[in-house]
Amino acid sequence: MARFRRNIVPYLFLLIPVIIYLVWVIGPMFYTFYLSLTDWDGLTSPTFIGLRNYERLFHDKVFFLSLKNNLKWLLAFVTIPVAFGLLLAMALNKSIPGEKIFKMNFYMPMVLAMVVSGLIWGWMYHPKGGLINTFLVATGLFKKGPGWLSDRDIVLYSIIIVAIWRQVGYVMVLYLAGLKSINPQLLEAAHIDGATGWQTFWRILLPLLTPVTIIVLVISVIDSLRAFDLVSIMTRGGPANASSVLANFMYIESFNNYKMGYGSAIAVIIFLISLGFIFLYLWRVMQDELEY
Amino acid sequence: MKHKFSSLIGFVIVLAILLSACQPTTETIIETVVVEKEGETIIKEVEVPVDKPVLIYNSYMSDPDPRVADAEAVATFQAAHPDYEIIHSTVAHEDFKTAIRAYLTASTPPDVLTWFAGNRARFFIDNDQIMDISDVWESEGWNTSYPKGFKAVSTVDDAQYFLPTSWYWWAVYYRVSIFEELGLETPETWDEFLVVCETLQENGYTPIAIGTKYRWTAAGWFDYLNMRVNGPEFHINLMLGTESYADPRVADVFEYWRVLLDEGYFLEDAAAYSWSEALEPMIAGDAAMYLMGDFIRDDLPDETEADLDFFRFPIIDPAVLIGEDAPTDGFFIPVNSQHPEEAKEFLAYLGSVEYQTFFAEKLGRLPTNFDVDKSLFTETQQKGLALIEGADFVAQFYDRDTTPEMADEGMNAFMAFWDDPDSIDELLVDLEAARLEIFVTE
Amino acid sequence: MNWNIDMENAREYFKSPWRVLIYIVLVITALLWFVPILTALITSVRSFDDILTNGFISWPKTITFENFLTAWNRGGLNKYLPNSFKITIPSLVLTMFFSSLSAYALARFKFPGNRWIFFTYVGGMLLPFQVLLLPVLRLTDFLGLYDTYWGLIFFHTAFQLGFCTFMLRNYMRTVPSEIIEAARIDGCGEIRIWAQIMLPLTLPAIAATATLEFTWIFNDYLWAIILLRSDSLKPITAGLATLQGQYVTDWPVIVAGALIGTLPTLLVFLFLQRYFIEGLTLGSTK
Repeated sequence: MARFRRNIVPYLFLLIPVIIYLVWVIGPMFYTFYLSLTDWDGLTSPTFIGLRNYERLFHDKVFFLSLKNNLKWLLAFVTIPVAFGLLLAMALNKSIPGEKIFKMNFYMPMVLAMVVSGLIWGWMYHPKGGLINTFLVATGLFKKGPGWLSDRDIVLYSIIIVAIWRQVGYVMVLYLAGLKSINPQLLEAAHIDGATGWQTFWRILLPLLTPVTIIVLVISVIDSLRAFDLVSIMTRGGPANASSVLANFMYIESFNNYKMGYGSAIAVIIFLISLGFIFLYLWRVMQDELEY
Repeated sequence: MKHKFSSLIGFVIVLAILLSACQPTTETIIETVVVEKEGETIIKEVEVPVDKPVLIYNSYMSDPDPRVADAEAVATFQAAHPDYEIIHSTVAHEDFKTAIRAYLTASTPPDVLTWFAGNRARFFIDNDQIMDISDVWESEGWNTSYPKGFKAVSTVDDAQYFLPTSWYWWAVYYRVSIFEELGLETPETWDEFLVVCETLQENGYTPIAIGTKYRWTAAGWFDYLNMRVNGPEFHINLMLGTESYADPRVADVFEYWRVLLDEGYFLEDAAAYSWSEALEPMIAGDAAMYLMGDFIRDDLPDETEADLDFFRFPIIDPAVLIGEDAPTDGFFIPVNSQHPEEAKEFLAYLGSVEYQTFFAEKLGRLPTNFDVDKSLFTETQQKGLALIEGADFVAQFYDRDTTPEMADEGMNAFMAFWDDPDSIDELLVDLEAARLEIFVTE
Repeated sequence: MNWNIDMENAREYFKSPWRVLIYIVLVITALLWFVPILTALITSVRSFDDILTNGFISWPKTITFENFLTAWNRGGLNKYLPNSFKITIPSLVLTMFFSSLSAYALARFKFPGNRWIFFTYVGGMLLPFQVLLLPVLRLTDFLGLYDTYWGLIFFHTAFQLGFCTFMLRNYMRTVPSEIIEAARIDGCGEIRIWAQIMLPLTLPAIAATATLEFTWIFNDYLWAIILLRSDSLKPITAGLATLQGQYVTDWPVIVAGALIGTLPTLLVFLFLQRYFIEGLTLGSTK
């Protein structure tokens, strides 16, 4: 009887949340898949047009430009904030003087409204009066500071910097929680056994943090492919689409140009790319997961 | 831990009860009802729910001054209709453009909405999203008191759908003191304009301020250059998609534009500034001119405002008709509105001389109802009015005259051109392809 | 809250030169990170005219706290702040509750469909949410929840389930199975195991997730704009956005308002972060 109860229990636990999720998220998601096969202005009824939207996408210069930008963003996100966040979490894990202040300081960017972050950094990037350029010119190394947001070659990176500024705190919080779940006795045992700091880190700590790292990498991929707010606020994808990213492109097509079908197609592409990265990764990782 | 959890659950339950308890109370009155029952007539007293007149009004007037004016106008209307329940919400201007998609599709939309005249409204009208208000136009006599131009912009297939209420003009604003210092006269022709720019530059001033971060300021230059070089009719047809971007006349426009770019008359790094950030050099006295709408005066420090004047965008070809940009704002009623009578009542107020006079005086915009007493206008308003009255044609502005999609492509092209003028031929080819895709295929 | 920099501890900490170096690097990095926030703080105490005349990056000519008052009144923060809480807290509680149930089921039971359900949760996170705006609006309207708190709450609860379940499941897998087995042998019902063993042991993860969720739900505004029509229900994010006009935006006021808006989240962070600090000794079995 206990066996039967145990078998049914997971389903009971999952019943309500899964239903809620199906109705509010998965349902609309499939509706979006359907919409990508239509021409819809968002107001009247959609008209079915098959794969026309996708055909159009493959001829759209802006699409490929946005895709390239997202991939650059992805590369930046799975490396820099992850490494940095981990280092910070490790440094702040012990009781060091002022640790609460440090933690709050690094988390603060996440807390500040995106609009304001975009605004502040916009001022910092100001070509003449901005903080960064004023500083650079003052050091005498530059005659004129670079056009952080107006130069088509560097605008994307300028925005990615702001994204990293925000993301590091997020990753730090995740790793802090992860570190707290690790049994300190394990680390002590290694120390007693004569392992060096580096060995302890690489061979013991990092593997123990794997579940967290999985989360961190997955969300880094997702967040970089879905990046939207900062681009929308700081440059709207400009100048001339140089900083365009897929989500921004999708938003403009859907809401500005009343082409919700086309926008949905872009969303589906984002979905498929994320799916590709994540599911391959998760599937492999889950094979290795310890059985219970 | 268990404690905290159960108290949290308890909290949620309490909250749920409280929230669901916040139901609007329906008003009731006692009515005498005559009922026939099995041949007998019974007189009963029954409590009957009364529908209070309700008006839901959502507005995008989030700029500080218009917002206050908007609130006052609603208060005046409320005072005239004390039994109305008015629910007034102001939404951030940019967000409103997103939110309107929700408003028009919801089953309980707002009753009256602010919106732009021109193509933006046209799109909704063509899709049957807007209520026909010809009856209000008729009953309020606007068919006579509104100039033909404004009626035309609100009419589709002989029915009126839109109520235009305020508009403003575009012109080249300049700092009087700088001009005086250099002994400059306001230019009327293109050649005079170039001379003015040259003089300003030689004396260390930035001739033209502009912030193109959000692109539309560049579109303003396109509008005017196109209307001056090729005439307003060609310009509007281009907006409507019946003329081609590959037409050599369009390329001409960019030739003139190029002159200004090559000579460096525009503010450096314009793409990094929003239009208001680019205002700074002008306020500081480093830049002299700015092609902009009249709202440029809204948030200037007083001393700068006093030093500001404007002139008509210079004439390039005297044989060409004069076109000006005068974007118009107004109101409409969504077709799903649950309270059409109240909405029409409110619309009647918004189109009235009373409201328009108030709005014009308060904000310095111009009203559409020409019965408003013009002697009440300030000098600036009179001058602006004269500017537009002297025009042969009035356009709404690039991104309101053409479809949003075409506007997006166009503005991106302007920015690309600004950054790399040599690429214009390629850009025009792309624009033409976009035009064909947008206007010509079905 | 113990803010004192414990001198004893500090001396202990700084024993090795490596540590000193790391600390210096940490301080410099922290300062660099803080600069943009500092800019925000300075801007919030300047007047708009000051900024117009002297540019954004310049020392304030005068200091004024008026912006905060203006944000409070004109931005309607006194109206909207309670709304933000009415939306965020139920959403947070519901989503944490349901996701911890789901996570436990997914982490600790072998049953057919386990992987697929897990993938479904993750899959729902992959779409850029803007594209869901109109479909969810239609759903909400259909359910008669347009322009109500519950419409927004249900949405947030559902939408955040993906991330929370993902997070908590992974953390729950790190709990040693012996503890669970022991409890089951003892005859504990699954709900008790969930409530009295699993949840306390994954407290750091729950606290971290709750902090992040509070941040996201509280800071959302696009959904509020789409799913709510009336001014009176708006959260502060939408209220603050209204300070942005078509032509004119009173930047210092918005920054001041945004800073006020960060306070609740910061307080939540400070309150919950001690749960990621309190270490749990996993040596014992009870």
